[in-house]
Amino acid sequence: MHFEHLTSIHKMLLVILGVLVFATVLFWIWKKIKPGAQVDELMTRTKSWWVMASIFAIAALVHPIISFVAFGFLSFAALRELSSISKNARIEDRSVIFWAYVAIPVQYFFAYMGWMLPFLIFIPVFMFTWIPFILVLKGHTQDIARSMSVIPTHLMLTVYSLSHLAYLLSLSIADGGRGLLLYVVFLTEMNDVFQFTWGKLLGRHKIIEKISPNKTWEGFIGGLLSTVLAAILLKFLTPFTTNEAIGAGLLIACTGFVGDIIVSAIKRDFGLKDTGTVIKGHGGILDRMDSLIISAPFFFYYVYLLHVVR
Amino acid sequence: MKHLLLILIYKGVMPLFLKLVGVKIVPKKPLPPNAQYIIVANHNSHIDTMALMSSIPVKDLNRTHPVAAATYFGKKNWLAVLSKLFVNTILIKRSEEGGESTALDVLGNFLSKGHSLIIFPEGSRGEPEKMQAFRKGIGVLLQRNPHIPYIPVYIQGTGKILPKGERLIVPYVAQVHFGQAQLAQAKEVESILDEVKNEILRLKD
Repeated sequence: MHFEHLTSIHKMLLVILGVLVFATVLFWIWKKIKPGAQVDELMTRTKSWWVMASIFAIAALVHPIISFVAFGFLSFAALRELSSISKNARIEDRSVIFWAYVAIPVQYFFAYMGWMLPFLIFIPVFMFTWIPFILVLKGHTQDIARSMSVIPTHLMLTVYSLSHLAYLLSLSIADGGRGLLLYVVFLTEMNDVFQFTWGKLLGRHKIIEKISPNKTWEGFIGGLLSTVLAAILLKFLTPFTTNEAIGAGLLIACTGFVGDIIVSAIKRDFGLKDTGTVIKGHGGILDRMDSLIISAPFFFYYVYLLHVVR
Repeated sequence: MKHLLLILIYKGVMPLFLKLVGVKIVPKKPLPPNAQYIIVANHNSHIDTMALMSSIPVKDLNRTHPVAAATYFGKKNWLAVLSKLFVNTILIKRSEEGGESTALDVLGNFLSKGHSLIIFPEGSRGEPEKMQAFRKGIGVLLQRNPHIPYIPVYIQGTGKILPKGERLIVPYVAQVHFGQAQLAQAKEVESILDEVKNEILRLKD
């Protein structure tokens, strides 16, 4: 096989396949040798990566519109989960939550068309007005201020942020943005694993024990350095120089961490455990997406400011 | 013909719809084929009936009947026809309308033909996520048919997807928890009611 004929996307898909097979076998053996080890969290994460990697592969090899639809569904499932666990929504808010769902195809349509300005303002300006307006028309003022702030925030966390991943595919740089998409998702997920692994190996000093007892400075810094290294190694997927790749690695590691603890804090508020499934017998989509929620928009604007507007 | 229609709805369209709005059946395949039983569940939404019918094995769809109030679904003729055709319901009169003894006889006949029933003993959907007192019918049926097992089902969250009196369907995560098929242990109607209610509530956690 002549590897030099492969495009960077094909190389990346092979790398991901390799990493996934390696991770799956490693965790399986780890579990067999030390049944008491806490690898269940990593195993479920690996399973969801297989699903995500398959979506990427199909989208990259067949047609990009599949990615837009897939990310739209991901936003849908995340919003459904967040509004179901939320203690803050009232039963009168049902019709407004319905409008929040309607916003999903609109936002992804703007991403698909590559209409930057509508994409930017639709949720933060239009939906942030439309939702309170509909709430006011309903006429129940008891706790209305809470609903006015909670429902648009749910939209920001689950729809606005994740739609930036899809918009990467509409950028006319770096192989249609596919490489950038793989880059940010892969590095964000790897950063989680690096942090977890370094934390298990060396972790002593807790960062923020009340929110996330497993987060340590050693894990965070180890994860940061490993992610920066991976960011440099994978820069062939991007138009980045080495310095820009280092910056991207730092950005992804820090924003991934922030997203992770924000979602942890929200779940603590709703009285749910900080890891594992959100609802009994239910997948915990937010658990899988927590770091991406913040790293996706930050990475998008990083790319946009460095390589699209000049 | 009707069986084909029911299969098309409850094995084709409905599972997709339920997955989309967020209804999860636990366990995935809760019922064995070719069995006779009375499914007893709490009731918050029309979604409940859809979810339970979708859990019935293909072969048994035709001979499984949700039991519904004639005053609600029989109000208009077309509604009665539709609910019989698409939901396979048996319409009965509520006890306060003087229908108690005939209703129980009708249901008894279906049971003796080997058919299965889906009963919501609260009698009405009521307020979301609040359980009301059980009506006596299920107790009498189980007392008269001690050889037929009942299956307790606890449904959580569907009252948010489509509550009573609303038309708009909004996705929420909901669960339908099936218990084990079991014969009623108690002998008195009242104590059978308590037993069934406790079995349903036990599935809550």
